Amino acid sequence: MDLGQLGLREKLIEELYAKELFNINLFGWKIPVADTVVVMWIIMAFLIITAFLLTRQMKPVPRGKQNLVEVIVGFFNSFSRDVVGHHWRVFAPYVGTVALFLAFANTISLFNFIPGGDYLYKVTGLNFFQHIPDNFLKPPTRNINIPASLAVLTMGVCIFEGIAIKKPKNWLRSFFEPSPIVFPFKVFDYFIRPASLTLRLFGNILGAFIVMELLYLTLPALLPAPLSIYFDIFDGFLQAYIFVFLSLFYMAEAVE
Amino acid sequence: MSTGGVIAIAAALYAFVGAFVGIGIGFATGKAAEATARQPEAADKIRNVTLLGCALAEAAAIYGFVIALVLLLIYKV
Repeated sequence: MDLGQLGLREKLIEELYAKELFNINLFGWKIPVADTVVVMWIIMAFLIITAFLLTRQMKPVPRGKQNLVEVIVGFFNSFSRDVVGHHWRVFAPYVGTVALFLAFANTISLFNFIPGGDYLYKVTGLNFFQHIPDNFLKPPTRNINIPASLAVLTMGVCIFEGIAIKKPKNWLRSFFEPSPIVFPFKVFDYFIRPASLTLRLFGNILGAFIVMELLYLTLPALLPAPLSIYFDIFDGFLQAYIFVFLSLFYMAEAVE
Repeated sequence: MSTGGVIAIAAALYAFVGAFVGIGIGFATGKAAEATARQPEAADKIRNVTLLGCALAEAAAIYGFVIALVLLLIYKV
C-alpha cells in the first residue's frame, strides 16, 4: 500500500504543529489558544479538583481516600530522599507535581472515547463545544513547547535552589570547583541539560504517537490494542519517571 | 542523484543510529540483570543506575529520530 496516498506526510506535519482552537480577547490583545493548551488545561483541572477532593477533612489516622493520597505523597517523598539526600524537602512538591502532570499528559490518549465537539454541542447547546474537534485528546507533550517549558522550569529550580542552599558565593565558586578548566563545561551544562531533557521526552512521545497513528491508518483491527499497552501506557509512565528522575539527579548535583 | 534522494539517505542513516543505541542499552540491561542476580539486596540501586544510563544512552537514538523527522518534513523528499 502506498502510504503517500493516505496523506501521511500532511498528517504528520499537522500533528507536529498545534492547532488553533479559539481566541481569547484580553484588553484588545488576541491570544490564540491551541488544542495542546486545552488538553493541558483539562489535565490541570482534573489534577487540581482531584487533589482538592481527596485532601478534604484530613485526620491523624488515615482512612479510605486519605490512604491513597498518603501513598502517593510518601512515594514522591521517599523517591526524592533517595536521590537528593539531605535537602530533599524543597524538591519533593515540584517533582510530585511534574510527575503527576506528565503521567497524565503522556497517557491522555487512553481517554479518547469521550464524544467529540459536535455531539456535545447538540446535547448541551453550549457554543463553546463547537470549536472542539473529534478525538482531540492526544498527548500534549508531543508538541515540543511543553517539554521545553518543563525542562526550563527544572533548570530554574536547580539554579534557584543552588543559590538559596549553597549561598551565592559558594554557588559561584562551584563553577570552578575541581579546577578552573571546567568552567565553560559547567556553563554549557545549563544549556545542554534542558535541551536533552526536552528532546528525550518530546522524541519518545512523538515517536510512540507516530507509530500508533501509522498502525491506526494501516491495521485498525486487533493489533493496536496490545501495542497500545506498550506505546501509550508503559512508555508514557516510563518517560514521566525518567524525566523526574533526571530532574532530581540534576537538582541533587546543584545543591550537593 | 537528486537532492531528495540524498536527504532521504541522510534521514535513513540518522534513524539507523537507533541500532547501535539498541545494542548499547541491551548490553547495559544484561549487566544490570547479572548484577541483580548476584546481589538481590542491591536491586533498587542497580535499577536507578540502569535507568539513568539507559536514559542517557537513549538520547542519542532520540536525537537521530528527531533529526531524521526534521530532515524529512522540512525538505520535500
